[in-house]
Amino acid sequence: MVAILPLAGVVAAALTGETAAIPARDIARYAATSAVLAALVAVATGALGSLAAWLVVMHRFPGRDIFAWALALPLAAPAFAVAYAYADLFDVAGDLRMWMRAALGFDLPFEMRTIPGAAFVLTCAFYPYVYLAMRAAFVNQSAHALEAARALGCTPAQAFLRVAMPLARPALAAGVALAVMETLADYGAVQFLSVQTLTTGVVRAWFVFGSLTSAAQFALPLLGAAALLLWIERWGRGGRGYESANARWRPLPVTTLSRPAGLMAGLFCLTLITLGLLLPAAWLVIAFLPVSPDWPRLIEAGGNSLTLAAAGAVVTVALATALALGAARVPHLARLASLGYATPGAVMAIGLLVPAAFVWRLAPGAAQGFGAGLIMLIYAYAARLMAAALEPIDAGLSRVTPSMVQAARTLGRSPSGAAWSVQLPIARGALLTAGLVVFIDILKELPATLILRPFNFDTLAVIADNYARDERLAQAGWPALLIVLIALPAVIWLTRKIAASRPGAPA
Amino acid sequence: MSETVALTAQGVSKAYGSRTAVAAADLTLRRGKITCLLGPSGCGKSTLLRLIAGLEVPDTGEIEADGRRLSWAGGAVAPEDRGIGLVFQDYALFPHMTALQNVAFGLRKLPGRQRRDRAQAMLEAVQLGTRGGAWPHALSGGEQQRVALARALARAPQILLLDEPFSGLDAHLKGEVRLSLTEALRAAGATVLVVTHDAREALLMADDLVLMHGGRIIQAGAPRACYLDPVSPDAARLLGEVNLIPGQVRAGLAHTPFGTVPATSCADGPAVVMVRPEGLRLAEAGAPAHVAQVRFGGGYHEVQLKADGQQAHAHVAGAVPETGQTVTVRIAPDLARVFPAEA
Repeated sequence: MVAILPLAGVVAAALTGETAAIPARDIARYAATSAVLAALVAVATGALGSLAAWLVVMHRFPGRDIFAWALALPLAAPAFAVAYAYADLFDVAGDLRMWMRAALGFDLPFEMRTIPGAAFVLTCAFYPYVYLAMRAAFVNQSAHALEAARALGCTPAQAFLRVAMPLARPALAAGVALAVMETLADYGAVQFLSVQTLTTGVVRAWFVFGSLTSAAQFALPLLGAAALLLWIERWGRGGRGYESANARWRPLPVTTLSRPAGLMAGLFCLTLITLGLLLPAAWLVIAFLPVSPDWPRLIEAGGNSLTLAAAGAVVTVALATALALGAARVPHLARLASLGYATPGAVMAIGLLVPAAFVWRLAPGAAQGFGAGLIMLIYAYAARLMAAALEPIDAGLSRVTPSMVQAARTLGRSPSGAAWSVQLPIARGALLTAGLVVFIDILKELPATLILRPFNFDTLAVIADNYARDERLAQAGWPALLIVLIALPAVIWLTRKIAASRPGAPA
Repeated sequence: MSETVALTAQGVSKAYGSRTAVAAADLTLRRGKITCLLGPSGCGKSTLLRLIAGLEVPDTGEIEADGRRLSWAGGAVAPEDRGIGLVFQDYALFPHMTALQNVAFGLRKLPGRQRRDRAQAMLEAVQLGTRGGAWPHALSGGEQQRVALARALARAPQILLLDEPFSGLDAHLKGEVRLSLTEALRAAGATVLVVTHDAREALLMADDLVLMHGGRIIQAGAPRACYLDPVSPDAARLLGEVNLIPGQVRAGLAHTPFGTVPATSCADGPAVVMVRPEGLRLAEAGAPAHVAQVRFGGGYHEVQLKADGQQAHAHVAGAVPETGQTVTVRIAPDLARVFPAEA
C-alpha cells in the first residue's frame, strides 16, 4: 500500500489531465537524453565495478584489504556534490584550464556540461553499486568451479571470462540495474550540468509550470523504465540458483600479483576511489572552504537533514520490519514494496501530491501546514526506500529458524512476544544496517525533498541545490561537504561490515 | 478422564493441500510414562507432535488434557497457554542468549532472583551447572540438547514432547545421551512423548510404544508386545530387520521352504510368515537351505540363506557355516508370526 498509492497517483494524473500539457515530442527528447545517459553509465559502471571486484576478491596486491571496503566509499558523496566539484575543476574559464592553455598550449578536449560529462560524474558516483554486487557474487562463488576450469586447461584470465563472469552475470545485471535506477532518479547532478533528463523534466514541470499533469506525463516513462529495471534486478536475484548453496565453503584460490601488476591493480583501485570521492571532496575543500558560509542557515539545514534522515530511517525500518515479519503470510507484499525502490524520488513525490490534493479538496486545512508536509516527505522516503531496508532485515530475520519462534511460543510467549524477545534481538544488527542505508539515502536525496518539503524548510541538499542554481557555487560547497562528512562514518561502518562478511562465518 | 491418563487425542487428522499427513489418529499418553512414537520419516509423526504442541490446528478430531479441550476441528488453544513443553529436533536454542538465559526464558512470571535460581537449578539437574554463561554455539551437541531439555522442563510442563532427540548426535554418543535423558525425564516425573525413527532407541526408552505408518497409527502397546506380536508386516518392519517369507497355511500350520510354524488363527491358503533374523536358526534337523553369503556383523554373523527359490537372512551367533554349504534350518515359533497373504 505504502508504495503503490503514489504510483497509482502518477498514472491517474498523467492519464486524466488535459492532454496538450507537454508535446509528446518534448517528452521523447527528454527520454532520449535519459536513455543515452543511462546506457553510458551502465557500460562504464559495469566494466569498472566488475574489474575492481575481480581484482580485490581474486588477487593479492598492495592495499587490497583496504580497497575491499574503501572502493564503496563514494556512496557517501551525493552525485550533485561530485558534479559541483568536477564542473568547477574543469570549468572552461577555471584556473586549471587557464593554466593548461597558458603553460601547455592546448585545451582539454571535453566539457563537463554535456551528456558524456554527466555520464562521467554519475559513473564516479554510482560504480560502487556494481562493485558491491559483483564482489558479493565473486566472494560467494564456488572455488570448485574455478579449480575445475583450471584443471580443464583454462588460464586464470580464461577462467574469469568463461566461468566466473557467466556465473556472476545475474549479479552484474542487478548491480548495473541499481546504477541505472540511480541515474534515472538523479536530479541534482544532471540539473547542474544542464543535461535535460526525464527527472529534471518532472521537477521543472512542477516548479515552472505548476502542472501536476505535465509532471506526471514526464514521470510515466520513468515509471515504465523503473518496472523494467526492477524486473531485470529480480531476474538477477533469481539467478542465485546457479550457486551451490550446500557446497562447503573453502577459501578461493587467490593469486598473488607480481610487483608491477600489483602496483597497477592498486593504482586502478586508487584511481576509482580518487575520482569518486577523494578528488571531488578535496576540490570542494580547496575551492570553497575559504568562502565563509551563511552559518545560521547552514546549521539549521544540517539539523533538519539529520532529523529528517533519522526520523525517515526509524519509520522506514519499523515499517519494513513489520512487513518482513508479516511477509511469511503474504509473500507478494514485499515484491510490491520493491517497486518503490526503482521509482525515482521525483516521481514518488509527484505521485503523492495526487492523493494529497484529493484530501485537501475534501478537507481544506486538514493535510496542510508544516507537520503534514513533513509527514508526506517521510512517507515518500519510506515508500522509496522500503525495499532497500527490507533486504538486510529479511537476511537478518532468516537467521531465526522457524523452530526458534515456535520454541518461544511453547515457552509461553504470544506471537508478538516471540517477535519481540527472539526475532528482533537476533536481527538487531540487520536493523541497524537497514537504518543506516536509509539514513544515508535520505541525506543525499534531493528531488522528492524539493517538491514535498514544507515552505521554508531547508535541508543541506536543498540549500546546496539553491546556491548552485543561483550560480553561487562557492556557497554550495559547504552543504555538499557537510553531507559527505555526515554520511562518511555510516558508509565506512556499512562497507567494513560488508567486506568482513564471508560465507561460512557467522554474519 | 482417569487418573492415569495425561492426554488423549481422538480422530485427529491434518492435511496439507491434497497430502494427508495425519489420518484419524488416536493416542493416549499415560501420566508419568515415556511414550515413543515410532515411524519412518514422512509418516506424519512430527505433524502429530506439532498438533499436540498446538503449533498446528487439526482438520478433524480433538485433543484433550486433564479434562481441558486443547484442540478441536479448526481451532486450538495457543501453544503458550497449553502447559506443554517441546524440545525441538535442532534444539532451537536462542543464539543471542547464554545457556542460563535460555533456560530462564520461559520463567517470566517469577521475580528476577527466583528466576535465576530456578534456571540454575535446572541446569544443574542436567549436569550443566557450570556452563550457564556459555553461548549456545560454544556448547557440544549433547550439551545443547540438555540445555534445551532444561529450558523446556523449567516451566514444569504437564507434558513434554521431544522431536527426534537423537538425530543430531554422533552414533557413539547416542547410548550415553539416551541414558542421561531417560534418567532426567524419570527424575522430573514428566509425562513424555518422544518422536523418533530409530527403532532401537524407541524400544530401549519407551514404557509405551506407538507405531505410525502412512499417517495412521497402526499399533500401540508395550515395546516387547509390539516387537514380538506385530499386527502387520508394516508394523513388524518398523521395529527392525525382518524376513517376510511367502508360504501356505494348511490345517493350522504355515509351511515355508525354511520350515513350518503354528498358524492357529489363520485360515487355510496363501500366507506370509514374518520371522526376525534371530528367529531363523541353524538346527540339527529341519529344512535344508543353501548358504549364499556370510558376513561378519559384530556380535553375530549375518547369513544369507536360499531355499526353494526363496531368500532369507539369519543372525547366527556361535558356529558359523561357510558360503556354499548346505545347512538345515528351523523357525523359532516365538519370534515368528503368520499373516494372511496381502491381496
